[in-house]
Amino acid sequence: MAGVYDFVPAIAALPFLAFLVSLFFGRYMPKRGAEAGVIATAGSLGLSTWTALTVAGFTGPATSYNANLYTWVQGVGDGALTLSLGVLVDPLAALMLLIVSLISFLVHVFSLGYMNDEGETGLPRYYAGLGLFTASMLAFVFSNNLLMAFMFFELVGLCSYLLIGFWFRDDGPPSAAKKAFLVTRFGDYFFLVGVVGVFATFGTGLFAPITDGGTVVAESFPQVAEHALGGEASVETFGLETGTWFTVLGLLVLGGVIGKSAQFPLHTWLPDAMEGPTPVSALIHAATMVAAGVYLVARMYGFYLLSPQALAVIALVGGFTALFAATMGVVKQELKQVLAYSTISQYGYMMLALGAGGYTAAVFHLTTHAVFKALLFLGAGSVIIAMHHEENMWTMGGLKDRMPVTYYTFLSGSLALAGIVPFAGFWSKDEVLFEALVHGLGTLETEASMVGTLLLVGYAMGLLAVFFTAFYTFRMVFLTFHGDARTDAARDATENRWNVTFPLAVLGIGAATVGFINMVPVAELTGAEIEFLHDWLAHGGIDATTTETYSELLHDVAGIEAAELGALGPGAVSLALALAGVGTAWTLYNVPDPVEQTDKLGGLKTLLVHNYYQDEYQVWLAQGVTVPLARAADRFDQGVVDGVVNGISSVSLFTGSRFRRIQSGLVTNYAALMTLSLVLLLIVFVLAGEVMG
Amino acid sequence: MPLAGPIEALLAVTLVGGLVVMLAPDEHAGKLATVISLLPLAGSLWMYATFEGAGNALLGGELAFESTVGWVELAAYELSWHVGLDGVSMPLLLLTTVLTTLALVSSWTPIDERESQFYGLMLLMETSLIGVFVALDFFVWLVFWEFVLVPMYFLIGVWGGPRRRYAAIKFFIYTNVATLVMFVGYAALVFALGDSVSSFDLPAVAQALQVQGNLGTFFGIEPPVLRLVAFTLLFAGFAVKVPVFPLHTWLPDAHVEAPTPVSVMLAGVLLKMGTYALLRFNFTMLSDTALANEGIIVAFGVFSVIYGALLALAQQDLKRIVAYSSISSMGYVIVGLVALTPHGIGGATFQMISHGLISGLLFMAVGVIYNETHTRMVGDISGIADRMPWTVGVFLAAAFGYMGLPFMSGFAAEYLVFLGAFDSGIPYAPLVTAVAMFGIVVVAGYLLWAMQRTLFGEYGLATDYDVSRAPVHDVVPLVVLLVLVIALGSQPSLVYGMIQEATAPLVPTTLVPGGELLW
Repeated sequence: MAGVYDFVPAIAALPFLAFLVSLFFGRYMPKRGAEAGVIATAGSLGLSTWTALTVAGFTGPATSYNANLYTWVQGVGDGALTLSLGVLVDPLAALMLLIVSLISFLVHVFSLGYMNDEGETGLPRYYAGLGLFTASMLAFVFSNNLLMAFMFFELVGLCSYLLIGFWFRDDGPPSAAKKAFLVTRFGDYFFLVGVVGVFATFGTGLFAPITDGGTVVAESFPQVAEHALGGEASVETFGLETGTWFTVLGLLVLGGVIGKSAQFPLHTWLPDAMEGPTPVSALIHAATMVAAGVYLVARMYGFYLLSPQALAVIALVGGFTALFAATMGVVKQELKQVLAYSTISQYGYMMLALGAGGYTAAVFHLTTHAVFKALLFLGAGSVIIAMHHEENMWTMGGLKDRMPVTYYTFLSGSLALAGIVPFAGFWSKDEVLFEALVHGLGTLETEASMVGTLLLVGYAMGLLAVFFTAFYTFRMVFLTFHGDARTDAARDATENRWNVTFPLAVLGIGAATVGFINMVPVAELTGAEIEFLHDWLAHGGIDATTTETYSELLHDVAGIEAAELGALGPGAVSLALALAGVGTAWTLYNVPDPVEQTDKLGGLKTLLVHNYYQDEYQVWLAQGVTVPLARAADRFDQGVVDGVVNGISSVSLFTGSRFRRIQSGLVTNYAALMTLSLVLLLIVFVLAGEVMG
Repeated sequence: MPLAGPIEALLAVTLVGGLVVMLAPDEHAGKLATVISLLPLAGSLWMYATFEGAGNALLGGELAFESTVGWVELAAYELSWHVGLDGVSMPLLLLTTVLTTLALVSSWTPIDERESQFYGLMLLMETSLIGVFVALDFFVWLVFWEFVLVPMYFLIGVWGGPRRRYAAIKFFIYTNVATLVMFVGYAALVFALGDSVSSFDLPAVAQALQVQGNLGTFFGIEPPVLRLVAFTLLFAGFAVKVPVFPLHTWLPDAHVEAPTPVSVMLAGVLLKMGTYALLRFNFTMLSDTALANEGIIVAFGVFSVIYGALLALAQQDLKRIVAYSSISSMGYVIVGLVALTPHGIGGATFQMISHGLISGLLFMAVGVIYNETHTRMVGDISGIADRMPWTVGVFLAAAFGYMGLPFMSGFAAEYLVFLGAFDSGIPYAPLVTAVAMFGIVVVAGYLLWAMQRTLFGEYGLATDYDVSRAPVHDVVPLVVLLVLVIALGSQPSLVYGMIQEATAPLVPTTLVPGGELLW
């Protein structure tokens, strides 16, 4: 069937084309390459919408699509795997394509205001980077196998390097770019080992089976793994027990996820990445790089469900990161820094949901977060333009009246982030916590009670983080927009042009309304069938990636059970905590002349301001351990290894001096001598051979 | 069979061309040599396009452009001119001709004395390199193998840096001794084969070795031990060229002193002579010995990967960084070869091509920066991205290629090697592979660090030169190489298909799990 699926590769190809156009012809274009990016991402958005509608069944029966399109490496001979690139479009991918292309389109438009209107140079490079970034992320999203996903995952990393380091003439950005790439590369190392391991174990990296007329022509690796666990298939497990080996593989891949999604302990690159232009931050944090990690776990969820241990690790890492990052957000002085830590924290929630079996909740939070975090970053960008690139919140204040569009949209995003009903973040965060709670409680009474305990620990940390999130969010709002203006720049700030306010308006409405796609508590209260996202993810042409299959696996294989519990009570608790956070921020900072208040924290303040010394120990690992080790290796190499070589040569030189007469010092003579000795040697050997023969 | 085929024409044109250039006036030598080098380049491209080989050259495969001419008879052994190409040597031949032309163009700026001799020697070196990859008779091969050293010696010793004499002599003696060691190993094998071979011909010997019972005793050494001794001698001899730890110390000196175009050839092609020979001798003729000793061999490979990367991390000289990282990258070749699995050997061979292109590219990029700044020390340069944007752009791309960025050839090669090694008979294969793979983190560390210091930040230069955009002819070779690297990374089958055809026969049909130690 020729249809929209044939055009799916174009969703990524268009921004890639924009990359080439901007790079080579951008400087001849009036907007320095932005035109290409805007048009391309608009095209991607259109195609993504069409794709999503087709998947949903608006244009005929609801379908999904999975096919190998390009043979990257053709294996020749026995046992040589063939490696392909292909496209997988199911409800998850369709939704994500829509999010990525929408955010990317808005970021391109916003960049006209943030970069072009501010008179930046090097814009073709900037738009080329954005184009490649978008293209890589989109291709990552529709990847149909793990290797392809890894390849585009790495390209996403490259683009983040290029864009974070955009202002390469300063010292900060190149250093931050290096850190971002290096820290995520460390995670990707484990990911790559995992990819190789998956291919070596299963002989395939397909996320979902490829079918032809109802029969499976290529099985997916989660399926093979499931069969292997059930004893219906045998795979190479390298001497480990099948289940253990799968847990190892799952955790290896998780390394890449922890790096890219900035989870503890590989979160340290993300706050530094704020050195990049603000629209880039919006793109990285909302829809691309950071989202890639969580998306990967969702993409191969069928595999993770086979290992309750891996799930527990995911939940624990997520819950811990959510709380850990939220506490650091409380003391930050710069607008973008607060948002950076909130990003780390929010992705922690998604991980918590995934680990706790709340697949839909995670995807839901991924969706709402993409909207409100892009909004908040672009709003911050708008403030930064108005403040002439000053980012410290203590220099702001009272921007509310002078920048109304920015203020009200930013407020919408903040309410969503803080989790205040009925803004988007409330619904999704509530569902994340709810899933963690019911699965934790339910599993507590089963054999896997350890997993249940860990899920509940994750839940507790996530719940506690709600308070901090609401607090730092509204501390940021009050310091930036409320009270009196504290500097001249803040007094003279004015609202920005359409290319800034238009994306803000779109996202502001989104942040208020996106949550309505999945109002679980309301559904429970009224009995209305309004859990659209649940329905969306529960169906699709590929059974293996639907939530129906996932809930079976969760129950049958992972042994994680759900307790009977209403959604209203837990929802009320988290809402109360959020309101308490907002209230605290209100009391402390919604005054005409706010003060820092951080002294009340005592010694804790030092710890928080230094981010729990996470950077310090990682820098120590690099500069205090690895570099001295390298220097020691170098000394060993120069002194010992090469010393032996030179020693041997001195000995021969000494001996050689006895033969000085035949040593003329001319290389031609040496060469002649060499040839002669070779011939001699040859003759000797031939004669010896004769004798032997 | 015709007396002369395309291969002979290729060799003759390059050789005569080299001699002609030597007699040409200095001011035209560069352009002339470049134009002449287009002939072997075009020839090898044509051979690639019409390539119809199948199977492995040594194991009875169908050879492309083969010719055999009897030469002399020495005692019971016949020496003949035997050349031909299979899926392994074809891409290496192409690598040689492509890199030579580009290296010649990149010489236009830095080489400004005794040009005719320089360019003549470069073409003579190309001749012998081509010879190494096409020769199938041991003596023909050995003559080319040894002759490579002569132009290389002069190229480093005459046009090199301050310590050029030390570096050139070290290179010459080190590799020469290695040849001797290797020669003894091969000769012992041939003599022990007794009547089952009547020449030193590589395919004949390789096939005779596959038959049980052919190998007799030699000076009282029993066949199993003899195989091991021969394997060790051959391995040690070739390991110098690769180079493998601990036989690598000539490489950094040679690279640092050599002029950039010569470094390009050294890293791009000369190192591949070592791995090519390992593939042909150790892993084709004596693959059973390799299989039985996988554990110890892979240890050398893995150690080279990590050790080379650590050494690169400790360097301040951009060229030294690339030189040590070559040791690291060539370690992957050893890991892939010793895995003796389809993607292991295939990936290792692909890595030879890939590393040839990428290291050539990175050396050239360092050279272009040196042409403008006259320094290569990391601490001396900062923020030149503004002054030479295209060069820096290509440098950046090359560095990411070196780090194994997908859709560039390095990733394809390394991924295939890892895949091949992970599920192989190497003891603790997954763990060993994972250790080797850690190289991809360290390589990112030192390249990103070096780039941050030199390319970005505020502009500054410790030397007294004015940095401006590099001339077009300096940048064009970089762009060509970059395009090739991306093309091979996006579609490895451009050469990987023929490589696999030639390496598949080397895969043992039954893998020995664990591998018994014969030591």
